[in-house]
Amino acid sequence: MTPLLEIRSLSLEIPVNDGLLRPIRSVDLTVERGETVAIVGESGCGKSLTSLAVMGLQPQNARLSAERLAFQGESLLGLDRRRWQAIRGKRIAMIFQDPMTAFDPCYRMGDQMAEILRQHRPVSRAEARERIVALLRRVGVPAPEDRLDQFPHQLSGGLRQRMMIATALLCEPELIIADEPTTALDVTIQAQILRLLADVQQETGVGLILVTHDIGVVAGLADRVVVMYGGEVVESGTTDEVLGSPRHPYTAGLMRSIPVPGRTRRGQPLGHIPGLVPRPIAPLTACGFLDRCEFRHEACAAAPVPLRSGAGERQLRCLLPIETPRQPAEPLVAATAIA
Amino acid sequence: MADTSLIDGASASISAAPAAKPMPTPGQIALRRMARHPGFWFGGIVLGVFVLAAIAAPLLTPYDPGTQDLARRLAAPVWNSAGSWQHPLGTDHLGRDYLALLLYGARISLFVGFATVLISGLIGTVLGVAAGYWGGRVDLFVNFLLTVRLTLPVVLVALVAVAVLGQSLPLLVLVIGGLLWDRLVIVTRTATQQLVGREFVTAARAIGSSTPRILMREILPNITSALIVVGTLELARAILMEATLTFLGLGIQPPLTSWGLMISEAKSQFLFRPWLIAIPGTALILLILAINILGDALRDVLSPEGRA
Amino acid sequence: MGSFVVKRLLVTVLVLIVVSIISFSLVHLSGDPAVAMAGERASPEQIAEIRKAYGYDRPFHEQYLSWVGRFVSGDFGRSTYLKEDVGPVLARHIPITATLGVLALAFALLVAVPLGVIAALWPNTIIDRIALVLAVAGQAMPSFLSSLALIYGFGVMLRWLPVSGTATWQHYILPAVALGYYAAPAIMRLTRSGMMDVLKSDHVRTARAYGLSPWRVVLRHGLRHAIIPVVAVATVQFGYMLGGSVVVEAVFSMNGLGNLAWLSIRRYDVEVIQAILLVIAATYAVLTLAADLLNAALDPRIRTS
Ligand SMILES: Nc1ncnc2c1ncn2[C@@H]1O[C@H](COP(=O)(O)OP(=O)(O)O)[C@@H](O)[C@H]1O
Ligand code: SF4
Ligand SMILES: [Mg+2]
Repeated sequence: MTPLLEIRSLSLEIPVNDGLLRPIRSVDLTVERGETVAIVGESGCGKSLTSLAVMGLQPQNARLSAERLAFQGESLLGLDRRRWQAIRGKRIAMIFQDPMTAFDPCYRMGDQMAEILRQHRPVSRAEARERIVALLRRVGVPAPEDRLDQFPHQLSGGLRQRMMIATALLCEPELIIADEPTTALDVTIQAQILRLLADVQQETGVGLILVTHDIGVVAGLADRVVVMYGGEVVESGTTDEVLGSPRHPYTAGLMRSIPVPGRTRRGQPLGHIPGLVPRPIAPLTACGFLDRCEFRHEACAAAPVPLRSGAGERQLRCLLPIETPRQPAEPLVAATAIA
Repeated sequence: MADTSLIDGASASISAAPAAKPMPTPGQIALRRMARHPGFWFGGIVLGVFVLAAIAAPLLTPYDPGTQDLARRLAAPVWNSAGSWQHPLGTDHLGRDYLALLLYGARISLFVGFATVLISGLIGTVLGVAAGYWGGRVDLFVNFLLTVRLTLPVVLVALVAVAVLGQSLPLLVLVIGGLLWDRLVIVTRTATQQLVGREFVTAARAIGSSTPRILMREILPNITSALIVVGTLELARAILMEATLTFLGLGIQPPLTSWGLMISEAKSQFLFRPWLIAIPGTALILLILAINILGDALRDVLSPEGRA
Repeated sequence: MGSFVVKRLLVTVLVLIVVSIISFSLVHLSGDPAVAMAGERASPEQIAEIRKAYGYDRPFHEQYLSWVGRFVSGDFGRSTYLKEDVGPVLARHIPITATLGVLALAFALLVAVPLGVIAALWPNTIIDRIALVLAVAGQAMPSFLSSLALIYGFGVMLRWLPVSGTATWQHYILPAVALGYYAAPAIMRLTRSGMMDVLKSDHVRTARAYGLSPWRVVLRHGLRHAIIPVVAVATVQFGYMLGGSVVVEAVFSMNGLGNLAWLSIRRYDVEVIQAILLVIAATYAVLTLAADLLNAALDPRIRTS
């Protein structure tokens, strides 16, 4: 069966003053029907650009190339404006990070949602209103009728994000891309919104891409995890595989920065990965994670590292062994050797 | 329609390449940027040519702008089939050499422009710095003055003032300078406000420097580039204002000459001899254009963050 | 929002009081208006008579207060030159200038807003550059020159349009262009930068991501925001145009307020000059007040707070 979304070797290049930015480098990603895939990585790793590229919303001056970019078996490459319009919001819907700014401050919530519904479906105003109220009720918005007449700034962040989710559900899409849907929210609200997303996914069977920089939210939500670093996929597999035994040093680093209930005490510093996400300016000549990796050895600096497949669904872009779990205490070569 | 850039904050990550050589001073950076800015060259050269021509007027034409020669009145310029090199730009309805009028007229335009900006610059800087430095009531008061000024129709008030007070050159300068300080106040006020919050001013206050000292040593030197930029643009506005008042018959009066006066006097002739207006008109537009472009270039170079 | 309105209203009244003092003192600065009004060949007796008739022999503040008192009660004084009450004279001239101002503003907006939007949609392209050049060139052209150029081009060479007077609506076209184009560059730049900002905003990204048509994205979710500051600037520009129309009206021989002001200044018709100054200043003050309120009304975040 054809997958819901199939991305093979997607790259994006953006010309800037001082060269060519390569924020996405040959990314592979597949989402099956009804599946939830998490894309994880620190800020600046290319997660948002990947999501936007799926909807044809990459920056105007960006050059996109891909071996294959297909939705329900139909290629999305080179679609004209009208065909894109028929997909955006109707078959693929997006949930954005900041519910504060994602809605137009000039219009009432009800009008904005109705505008989107009526763009894709020939329904009357009254029918639109009815459907919106029903959806708002479904996503747990209290007093939905009253919300319709309110402006975005009159709602709380959590409420706005619920309405964003309702907006995404308006046209019963086949795929929802949620780009850091809870990053801008309070911790307590975050859990509620993630719960809601999971419920909605269960109920509707929609395909879901959950973009997050917090690998902690992935467990229990995603079927599969794709870890991105520097515009590349560095590790992927089922959630159990990746979270159960992370193989890439970057994934392991991300895992260390999750507070563990019971073990991490309040105020205790979390583990973190030293260094910063590099600016994706030059073509890679070595492992992209080299600078920050505590396990680097000479071979890592010799050439870009290819993505290898291991047992199960695991894929890994690292020269470390893919099968046997390594002992993190024993780096193969002292890190100072190359530094 | 194409999709424009959608990722916020993206451009912020594009930092300048690190300089390998020793850090140039801000002045050197500004000079280098200037040399590369075409607007700076165009504006500077045209303005320079006008200033030089105005200064060197007696060398450039043998005629006196006041000498009338009714026998040779309304001679055509040299590019017209009836023209000759004797009067390259022809003569006016009184037989005065048009090139001489143009050159001596430039003196008036430039004089009025620069003198006016001195006055309005003084008013604007005092008010703006005071408002920005002390804030509070002073700021409210200056703001009120600014609102009053903006509420007055400039051209009309200037016309009335000139009509009432008499029509002399110094008075014209005073009137225009006394009116066109609004933008200078706005800019110096904002610039000062930004400085007052910065460490070095706070530090100067902390070590007990006197207010005049802080104003002269810390504030003024740091608002000069903003001042130069608006001052340049105000120069153009002042020159336009003089031309307009003169055109309406209440600015420069004979025996002085100015471009506005030339245009005003040529009005009745212009259906048959359009060059009588086109010549001073082109000079005026070119001068204003050059000053505006120079001002824009200076803004690009001196305060790139302040671009519209 | 209520207290904001009250404060703005108070400031407006205060500003108008100061403006009225300035306009009143301005015409009395020369000392004795009676001398000028009586003309050059007047005898001392005649001058004294005028002085008494107009109350110029009273203390300055008394004169001012009585003038303001009359003005507020609707008595604008009497024109010495026209031998007519100023009220009706103004009423005759105002519609012409108001029509001219509205048309000029309409022209400026019609040219500047679309150009600004186009320049923002395709930044740094030929269209953007041309718009920029037009803006810079436009601002270098004084309105008396553009008036003369328009008369020469469209009135004399092409003979398309009338160039003098206010007999038909066609008479208003060239003056409106001459008056309006000067405001266009500012409006265009503002529209362009506003559109550039809003097109980068999150809610426009949402509108695109939900498949709204480009028209809706650009106009409903883009221009709707970018136009808010434009409204304020356009209102202020309209105020400038009322003051600036003196030049255009003089060149096109239009019998509006500007031309009346110009003639009255030359005739030294004190009461008319004062009345015009105050009327134009008051219009400007009311317009900026309206612009502020309109601005607030257009932005739901301000309106509903
Ligand atoms: N419009 C753009 N122009 C230039 N660079 C961009 C643009 N958008 C994103 N980038 C760069 O691409 C990289 C990836 O960005 P993004 O996809 O937003 O990362 P993430 O969502 O993982 O935080 C970053 O280095 C960012 O600076
Ligand atoms: S390839 Fe080498 S440098 Fe890169 S992540 Fe693996 S061990 Fe580290
Ligand atoms: Mg992101």
